[in-house]
Amino acid sequence: MNFSETLKLALLAIWAHKLRSFLTLIGMIIGVMAFMVVFSLLQGFNAYIDEKVAGIGSNSFTIMRFNFIDYSNTDKLAEAQRRNKELTFEDIDYLRSRMQVIEKMGAKAGGNQRDIKVGTVIMENVKIDGAEPVIGVIENINTRDGRYFTDAENNNSVRVAFIGADVADKLFPRGDAVGQEIDISGIPYRVIGVQVAKGTIFGMPQDSFVQLPIKTFGANFGGFRGSRFLYFIGTAKSDNLFKDAVEEARTLMRIRRKLTVDEQDTFAIFTPDAIAGLRDSLFGTTFIVILAVPAIALLVGAIVIMNIMLVSVTERTKEIGIRKSLGARQSDILKQFLYEAATLSAIGGLIGLILAELIGVIISSLFIPTKIPWYAALVSIGVSAVVGVLAGLFPAWKAARLDPIEALRAE
Amino acid sequence: MENQNGVSEPDQNGAATASKTLISMQNIWKTYQMGVEELHALRDVSFHVEKGEYLAIIGPSGSGKSTLMNLIGCLDSPSKGDYWINGNLVSEMTDDELARIRNKEIGFVFQTFNLLARATALHNVELPLIYAGMRAGERNEKAQAALASVELGDRVTHRPNELSGGQRQRVAIARALVNHPSILLADEPTGALDSKTSAEIMTLFEKLHSEGNTIIVVTHEHDVADRAHRIISIRDGQIEKDERIK
Repeated sequence: MNFSETLKLALLAIWAHKLRSFLTLIGMIIGVMAFMVVFSLLQGFNAYIDEKVAGIGSNSFTIMRFNFIDYSNTDKLAEAQRRNKELTFEDIDYLRSRMQVIEKMGAKAGGNQRDIKVGTVIMENVKIDGAEPVIGVIENINTRDGRYFTDAENNNSVRVAFIGADVADKLFPRGDAVGQEIDISGIPYRVIGVQVAKGTIFGMPQDSFVQLPIKTFGANFGGFRGSRFLYFIGTAKSDNLFKDAVEEARTLMRIRRKLTVDEQDTFAIFTPDAIAGLRDSLFGTTFIVILAVPAIALLVGAIVIMNIMLVSVTERTKEIGIRKSLGARQSDILKQFLYEAATLSAIGGLIGLILAELIGVIISSLFIPTKIPWYAALVSIGVSAVVGVLAGLFPAWKAARLDPIEALRAE
Repeated sequence: MENQNGVSEPDQNGAATASKTLISMQNIWKTYQMGVEELHALRDVSFHVEKGEYLAIIGPSGSGKSTLMNLIGCLDSPSKGDYWINGNLVSEMTDDELARIRNKEIGFVFQTFNLLARATALHNVELPLIYAGMRAGERNEKAQAALASVELGDRVTHRPNELSGGQRQRVAIARALVNHPSILLADEPTGALDSKTSAEIMTLFEKLHSEGNTIIVVTHEHDVADRAHRIISIRDGQIEKDERIK
């Protein structure tokens, strides 16, 4: 018997036992669905981190005083504090005067939370940070109202503020924030711009901040010490020069700090890749465990199919006898049952995939965006068919080996 | 074992006599191992069947006639002895070769019809052609024709449970004949039918015989056996009598 004949036979048998087929399918459907939903969640989570946290695609890198590893324990941090000096404006001027493939570089500082007052309205614990005007270009900041800082405002430590959408909406509900004054720790600042709302990342609001020109920030919040450390953000002249730009920054910093070849960096450079790498090292094991659970569901689905196929072989012993008496070879019977199992679980896989897609849409609209890559869809259908073949192998082999006389005698 | 030279007929070359002799059984033994005891279901059975014969094999239950039928139908292989069918030495074939012989040379008709319950009459009749590897279009045509020849041309889409016992047996006969086998092998073909329907089926057998088909009927009913032209009586695993009655 050829492929299409056998496939037709399998579909007929599945259709003939609709209820049983459906019950069998459920195992596979749940298995594939659970696997794909979890997989798409992880994919979505990764993509989310890439896009929002690591800023992949933004092609900027960050120079900081400490690396991730320096925070792993107090001894390490103490050692790093001795080794790594704070970054200074002299450092960034040095970099800017020598850079070739780095396009732009700007300084930022943050780490403060203060209450903000307008008249009698108080907004508590708003993040305050400082930035050089060039950061507006580097971070591609979009303004809803007004504008970003100018160099003159920064150089003269003018008390102006660029604020997040939440701050603007809370303190100036009438939408006339620009030009008004806000009070931070008793000092008034004039609002010059409002940023376009960015929403939240992992539930953390991104629009509740006040940004000041960095020199204003330094002058009014006690310099760049402790948590208010300076850090630099840089971009490359083009996407394919990104690695070179990062390398240039590292080399210039090492020259400036007179590090010898065998000394390690006394600063840290973060790239989107490094952050994605950190994510993988933090969550990699968790991901495997999370994926293992639905994989077990898939396995249970396979066992259900094997079980049903065994029942099916017993139930259809007579049929097998009849087919054999009419000239079916062992391979014909084997194929018949294998195709049936494989088709059954491939259908289950397909339905599971469709359901996973639907659940994905719901999750995307409620929590984080999920995505099922096309290769994962193919793999899940392929895997379920292979699982079906494996689950069908033993029952099919049993069926093929039946003695036709015994089989014909069965009721 | 010492009966090896009991039948001295020189039939070393099965193919040479194949033009006339369809079935040649020579010194066939079938032995089952029951614990330490050996049970001989067939002891040194030899006979020939010519093309176009209408043969009945008769015997009480336990006589070995079912074993003989299974051997003739190539569902089983003898423990000892040579079995030729249409020039093929069956007794030494593998399972798959036996399947091919069943498909090409044998048309089974069973007491309980043995139709696939969920398949239409047409699909049931198509089954042997499917296993013969015939294309769908040709298959369909042949199965339609076979059903028409047993006067069921208007019942092709019916399932077995929508047909009477006699109609079911006629579907089974159409299925048995559709691949033009060398022999039609019927096992108690009227065992599940009332006397009127039995008579119809036996009349159909006579018609098929007159059209040149070779028919072997295995039965314990003398009425059924008496319609044949030759009767082989089996008792205790041996041929008791082999007589031509017409």
